[in-house]
Amino acid sequence: MASTNRPVYLNLLKIKLPISGIISIFHRLTGVLMFIAIPVSLYLLQLTVDGVSSYESVASLMLHPLSRFFILLVTWSFVHHLLTGIRFLLIDLDLFLEKSSIRYSAWTVVGLEFLIMLFIIVGLFL
Amino acid sequence: MSMVALEGLRPWLLQRLTALYLLIYTAYVVVYWSFFNTIAYQSWQQWLAADLNQILLGLFYLAVLIHAWVGIRDVLLDYIKPFLLRLLLLFAVAIFLIGSGFWLVKILMMVNG
Repeated sequence: MASTNRPVYLNLLKIKLPISGIISIFHRLTGVLMFIAIPVSLYLLQLTVDGVSSYESVASLMLHPLSRFFILLVTWSFVHHLLTGIRFLLIDLDLFLEKSSIRYSAWTVVGLEFLIMLFIIVGLFL
Repeated sequence: MSMVALEGLRPWLLQRLTALYLLIYTAYVVVYWSFFNTIAYQSWQQWLAADLNQILLGLFYLAVLIHAWVGIRDVLLDYIKPFLLRLLLLFAVAIFLIGSGFWLVKILMMVNG
């Protein structure tokens, strides 16, 4: 019964993950990212209530290209984590459990994510 | 701390309840600041000084901290096998989150003053 020459792919680059698996891994990755961002959010919040000049220093900090990159990274993390999270909640309710609709709902998340990020980038940065 | 307490229904439920609150609060903040107000120094201070917004923001961070605890705990339990290292990292995460909670309380107390 045990076959000794089964192919064992532990090479992560050779494992072909379905779309639902990919967005699931990114759900976890974006969660860890936002965990790290918690004290940053508190620091920025503190600056906004610490008088007009610190409030304005936050506002001008937002204009720096590097901070814009991190704002975009955390914003994307939030959007991705939220959308995949809603999908997980719906799956908990026994929705989308068919193999075809699992794939369909995963692609719906990717599409929505793309649209929302496009909207945010156009609204905030252009 | 018993290992039984580290798994089961309670964290699963906590994760979903906090997720629901985070979702609703996010909708509130995004809709309010997109359609009903414009962010500026005055409007931001007034918004933060309102009792209701302080309570809702406090609950938001409480939900974030609980949600982060359950999530990071799951990640650590998945990837960190050595017991002592796992315990140490869980402890560090707990301190990090509790400290963040105290920091928020301090910030909220700055607002009214």
